[in-house]
Amino acid sequence: MAFPLPRGVTASEIAFLAEMETVTIVPRQRLEGLELLGGPIEPLVPPRRASLPLWLAILLKRQRRANIIPPTWLHPEPLALILEVESQHQDYKNAFSPPPPLPGQPSVLDRDALPSARPQYTPDGNRYYAAPPFLPQNTAQTVASSRDPPSLPYHWVEVGNMLLDAASDDLVDPDQIRRLLKDLREVRMAKMRSGVDVLDAAATGGGGVALTGVGSMELGEERGFVTGVVDGLRRIGSSKEQARREQMAEQRANGAYDDTRDEDEEDYMEF
Amino acid sequence: MSYYDIDSILTDAQKLPCTFELEVPGLGILEGNAGEDASALFFTIRRHRLLTDAQIKAGTRIDLPLWLGEMLSIGARLGTARLVTLDMPEALSERVMNALKADPRTVDLRALAPHFYNLSERILELFEEEEMVDVLSDTFKKRAAEIADHARNSRGAVGGGVEFLRGLDETERQLFRAAHDRAKDMRIWSGEAKRK
Repeated sequence: MAFPLPRGVTASEIAFLAEMETVTIVPRQRLEGLELLGGPIEPLVPPRRASLPLWLAILLKRQRRANIIPPTWLHPEPLALILEVESQHQDYKNAFSPPPPLPGQPSVLDRDALPSARPQYTPDGNRYYAAPPFLPQNTAQTVASSRDPPSLPYHWVEVGNMLLDAASDDLVDPDQIRRLLKDLREVRMAKMRSGVDVLDAAATGGGGVALTGVGSMELGEERGFVTGVVDGLRRIGSSKEQARREQMAEQRANGAYDDTRDEDEEDYMEF
Repeated sequence: MSYYDIDSILTDAQKLPCTFELEVPGLGILEGNAGEDASALFFTIRRHRLLTDAQIKAGTRIDLPLWLGEMLSIGARLGTARLVTLDMPEALSERVMNALKADPRTVDLRALAPHFYNLSERILELFEEEEMVDVLSDTFKKRAAEIADHARNSRGAVGGGVEFLRGLDETERQLFRAAHDRAKDMRIWSGEAKRK
């Protein structure tokens, strides 16, 4: 109660996490390699491109020591395309546009391919699967991977906003980009709000609501509201749920409950 | 819900219509029937003497707080004769349910009960009302969508939403606050709004 901040992660905390995203820069000055806690930074030799964490890139940009190459999605054309998919496309009327494929995940184009996650290894030899912000989703990618349709990375709101703020002269048509980002946010927020109808699936036993493609800032913004709604629905429906459980237990006791597990049994929540 | 949750405590204090099944001596105070004058009653209680003329007759209907009514009615489950029977409170009556079915958005829940959903949650534990669960879930969802709209684009005092927002119960107010604060936090971060 005495803790002044609201529960959950605040906007500036999310932005802080997003600053670990790697972006591509063109340095204007030489800089020796740095040994940072987040990993070593390669030496900067102009005009060779380099990948840096966003915070360092913005710092160098502010000091006019580097130019930031905007990520592939942060251009007017891909953003306009995504906006069109979000607002016009039939399949995505109630869903969010697909996120960029994770390493090993088949792209949206060939859906039948099986995913084969490629694990990475820490220096100690522990296996892990990389997740944003430790995926190169915001670097200026090479032409080879441009086969995939454009998609919004996990930290799109934060990266887009920060780059517009600090490096708008490096972006192509920043005013257009700003307008498109705002439109995208509006469209997706409206979807989030209209999605309240399906939330009781999450409130009753064993249901789940998929939030694939939702960005971290959007999650942070809606977390308080959505969990509040789910909790409210759960409490209203608790007596019914109780009755259902008792009935199931009774059936099981009577032997009428056969072994085929129905889908209600799977207890998972995606949040 | 925590022991110190003020909303839970206030929900406990909401009135519930109860009908006494038995004659109870000495409880006339609940009915406002002290028997003798108030000071005398005070002394009699202190002397642990029951008043013969301050009794509750069988069949009397009194509004009792939820915590008391729940306790008194619980005898039925233990197999002994129960002291009181509970009735649906006014806030969850058939009339209100019909209004909610017609249009959840126009009902002033706060006027019915400040802790409408908490109260109905407790009531649904006591009564088996499958249909009421559905009606209330639907109401909650429809109103939550409306709350999210209002929380993000408040039209201020001039908009049409004032009436609706005034009718929010305590749970919904918390929802509104969560949605509104986050949207504001976000706007401040992105520089669209100024920090106060």
